[in-house]
Amino acid sequence: MKTIYEKSVKNRTGYSLPKDYFSEENISNIIPGYAFSSKEKELPEVSEVDVIRHFTKLSKLNYGVDDGLYPLGSCTMKYNPKINEKLANLDNFIYAHPFAAEDYVQGSLQIMYELEKALKEITGMVRFTMMPAAGAHGELTGVLIIKKYFEDKGKPRHKMLIPDSAHGTNPASSAMAGFKAIEVKSDERGGVNINELEKLMDEDTAGLMLTNPNTVGLFDENIEKITEIVHSKGGFLYYDGANLNALLGIVRPGDAGFDVVHLNLHKTFSTPHGGGGPGAGVIGVKEELEEFLPSPIVGFDNKRYFFEDPKKSIGRVRAFYANFPVILKAYAWILSLGADGLRNAAETSIINANYVLAKLKKYYKPAYDRTCMHECVLTGREYKEYGVKTLDIAKRLMDYGFHPPTIYFPHFEPYAEETIMIEPTESESKETLNQFIEAMIKIAQEAKTQPEILNEAPHNTPVGRLDEVAAVRNPKLTFKGQLWSLKKLKQQ
Amino acid sequence: MGYKVIEGLYYSKDDEWAKIEGDVATIGITDYAQDKLGDIVYLEEIEKGKKVKAGETLTTIESVKAASDIFSPMSGEVIEINEEAIKEPSIINKDSYGKGWIAKIKVENFDELKNLMDAKKYTDYRKE
Amino acid sequence: MQKSTQITEKSKTKMRYIPNTEKQKEEMLKEIGVSSMGELLKDIPSSVRIKGKLNLPEALSEEELKEKFYTISKKNLDFFSYKPLVGAGAYRHTVPEAVKAIVSREEFYTSYTPYQPEISQGNLQSMFEYQTHISRLTGMEVVVPSIYDGASATAEAVLMALRITHKNKIIVSQLLHPHYKETVGTYTEPHKTEIIQLPYGNGLANIEKLESLADDDTACVVIQSPNFLGGIEDVKQISEIAHKKGALVVQVVAESMSLGLLKFPAEMDVDIVAGEAQSFGMELNFGGPFNGYIASKMKFIRQIPGRMAGETTDKNGKRGFVMTFRAREQDIRREKATSNICSNHALNIVVSNAYLSLMGKVGLRKIAEYNVKAAHYLYDKLLESGKFKSISYPFFNEFMLYAHNESKIEKALIDNKFIPPLRLSTFYPELEGYMLFSVTEIFTKENLDFIANLLGGQMK
Repeated sequence: MKTIYEKSVKNRTGYSLPKDYFSEENISNIIPGYAFSSKEKELPEVSEVDVIRHFTKLSKLNYGVDDGLYPLGSCTMKYNPKINEKLANLDNFIYAHPFAAEDYVQGSLQIMYELEKALKEITGMVRFTMMPAAGAHGELTGVLIIKKYFEDKGKPRHKMLIPDSAHGTNPASSAMAGFKAIEVKSDERGGVNINELEKLMDEDTAGLMLTNPNTVGLFDENIEKITEIVHSKGGFLYYDGANLNALLGIVRPGDAGFDVVHLNLHKTFSTPHGGGGPGAGVIGVKEELEEFLPSPIVGFDNKRYFFEDPKKSIGRVRAFYANFPVILKAYAWILSLGADGLRNAAETSIINANYVLAKLKKYYKPAYDRTCMHECVLTGREYKEYGVKTLDIAKRLMDYGFHPPTIYFPHFEPYAEETIMIEPTESESKETLNQFIEAMIKIAQEAKTQPEILNEAPHNTPVGRLDEVAAVRNPKLTFKGQLWSLKKLKQQ
Repeated sequence: MGYKVIEGLYYSKDDEWAKIEGDVATIGITDYAQDKLGDIVYLEEIEKGKKVKAGETLTTIESVKAASDIFSPMSGEVIEINEEAIKEPSIINKDSYGKGWIAKIKVENFDELKNLMDAKKYTDYRKE
Repeated sequence: MQKSTQITEKSKTKMRYIPNTEKQKEEMLKEIGVSSMGELLKDIPSSVRIKGKLNLPEALSEEELKEKFYTISKKNLDFFSYKPLVGAGAYRHTVPEAVKAIVSREEFYTSYTPYQPEISQGNLQSMFEYQTHISRLTGMEVVVPSIYDGASATAEAVLMALRITHKNKIIVSQLLHPHYKETVGTYTEPHKTEIIQLPYGNGLANIEKLESLADDDTACVVIQSPNFLGGIEDVKQISEIAHKKGALVVQVVAESMSLGLLKFPAEMDVDIVAGEAQSFGMELNFGGPFNGYIASKMKFIRQIPGRMAGETTDKNGKRGFVMTFRAREQDIRREKATSNICSNHALNIVVSNAYLSLMGKVGLRKIAEYNVKAAHYLYDKLLESGKFKSISYPFFNEFMLYAHNESKIEKALIDNKFIPPLRLSTFYPELEGYMLFSVTEIFTKENLDFIANLLGGQMK
């Protein structure tokens, strides 16, 4: 499909401007010569009709949750309620300026405060910041809080433990916060290897970042032991909330000994993923860590909502308070479900994942042959001998009209290789799951009988498999290539 | 699994090889390593004169889906870099023991060869 | 928490977002081969389980929900009708309805990161087009289309400069947005980076001082232009000084609308641009989500954080787009990644892409010009009134004025449905009495005349 630049026609306009009644004074007299650009910048020239058609066409090349099953493991692609979109778009919210005085934004502050209250109840934490814009941003915030705690005590710690099954963001966030990331191996049951944890946890280690249920979809049955080991050395237990969906109303991370949690509101709490963002990665902490939260946070004196600054705050991690509409939608979702609904969501997500596991384990060997939580991890290992990679299986699924699951993650030897991580969420009905299961079984058969169909898949998508190697070897990162801008500059 | 291993070279556990000629060691990655990485798209430049210790990072190599450090199998000073491989990293895929070598270092301590494997040992190591 | 009931009892509530019926769930449990829900939860030790049920309000119906949120929204000001004379990193510009129609398409907002390019070409092409827009506005070759916001983009740009130069000292203009400055502080704190303040005078950075502050240990100079006071900096001169000392230049653009009128940062020999694109089609939303970007040179590509799209072909030679240069990222390189970032605010990329496409070559220039004219018009009128004093410096769409009585001005404006300007003493104690005005194309000349009369004339 053509880019918007290829649709440009000289002198076509897509804008509507207010009338310019100001004097005809030449702008070049106002703006100093060292900064004034004598020419317009080379953006496209298209009409509103062109733009609407262009983007409508672009949108049709995408696949969203509203199109069908999106079983991307660890991403919790659940349904995004429409009423929440409407509520987040109320004029009084969207036009609110972040520097407007507190008295004028009591509604916005109330929503932040009330969501915090609900999240405290759901997680068992004491205080939240709404600031982080994404899960990884929350992780960075969380580990910086932990780091500052130890520095404040005058006993800085330098290491952070991270299981081999963790998301790549955990070690990356720890490194950004100045910690040395130390890997802890998984055991044969799929949990943290307790012996190794005991060996590694020492008084220079700030804590353990744990995803629970973990990325192989298992609840770490040794959680009490893990908590004890980490706490006995004065460390903190960090909860990566990527998989909280399984535990809503069943376990509160705070009760299980976690000291810091990040929640991906765009996963567990139903706010749209938006093609990769904006989401929100709010952070909750226990008492000891409260004073280190980023500033400001929202307070309430039973009459009025206000901002307050935690005493020993790590500072800001972005310019303003929150991805506000995301906060609002998450709260609307919680209110729509209530306590029973949340538990229903968790239980249904667990049933759905186990149902897929039970029906498919004959065809795709599970990483661990146990019942799972809200996602199951299968593998494509057995089809290697037919010349079929896990990637081929995923690509073939698109021909059957489904978004593929997460593949090749988690990856750790010897248990999790060639992984296919399936998270159906509570949004999927049994009928949809049956269709998916049927497609997966067909693909398993095809792998044995007609592997070339898989190797060449997908066949029915707007484009076929793309050459990612060429994209790096011969980079084209902008229309008409990387040299456009420099050439243009020289011409001026 | 049928990976090429060449007699007369020394191999590290991290899948680098070293070829000794006089006091110079030519360093590269093994056929197994290039296959695991897949299509190599980038080899990071190395500063001439850089001093490395055995087991330390010599440079970084990238494919589309992976990036890994190349550890120096021996200690020494970098005296030559394969400019061809930096310009056209795919030659490492095509000829990892030949045209796709990475760097040459002036060897500091030949005792370190003891810590490396010969062709037979490396073949067995990668069979496991 | 409330009192306990039996575990499975609770899931018997009906919920419209959860299609499976109780009967279906029972069937599925049977097919899984377990006797009860409890059996699926057996790995969870009872000590960590919730004993009762969460203490949350009863579930609301859609109508009740609507009523609740409408009621809460009324506790905010009627912000649509109150035009803000405050900007300071968050600008109210006109957002075309076409932009809103485009982002309300489910294919954009209910999709995820384009891990499977074959069914994500919409988002990928949008990223590519937007990278082109920003490239053509900044003159830079490489664009990361989304970092959370301008503040975090600035912090990431600084970390990038530290990696490139292997140095650990930075010089930061005091007229960098104070929130950005604080964010840079938070991000660099673990690396014990030395942060030197570049002082200002007369509304602009003190370039002479830079000569003496920059040295061979300086990784980068961070300069915002237009700066926090709206002032247009001579970035080229700053680049010359910085480069002489081997330091990189990071230009921060908090008001990207200025790029419609000002020279390419590349032309000013800037090495990294860290920008905030909120002005390109995003509503204020109480400060977020916004969308940051980083633009730089090809030679720095492997030190850039975040996701970007590139053009390639499929097996039949058809053009397509993929996420590219992925080996920099956390999911591949873990603790050695250039950043932990993995979101890209793709939906906001769609917003800004659509916005810039609509405005186009001529429109963006015209809006930028309107902003300059309108801001200068108000500035002149207020000065003429004799009620304000100024320090004269070149500015884009924001300026500071000394006001004799800040609270009186604030009250007059609010009473007449305008959000007052920012008190600069909030961030700069030495600027006690100064207010930072912002004027965009949402103000008509009539509005500005009214404001000028209100503040300059009748007000006592």
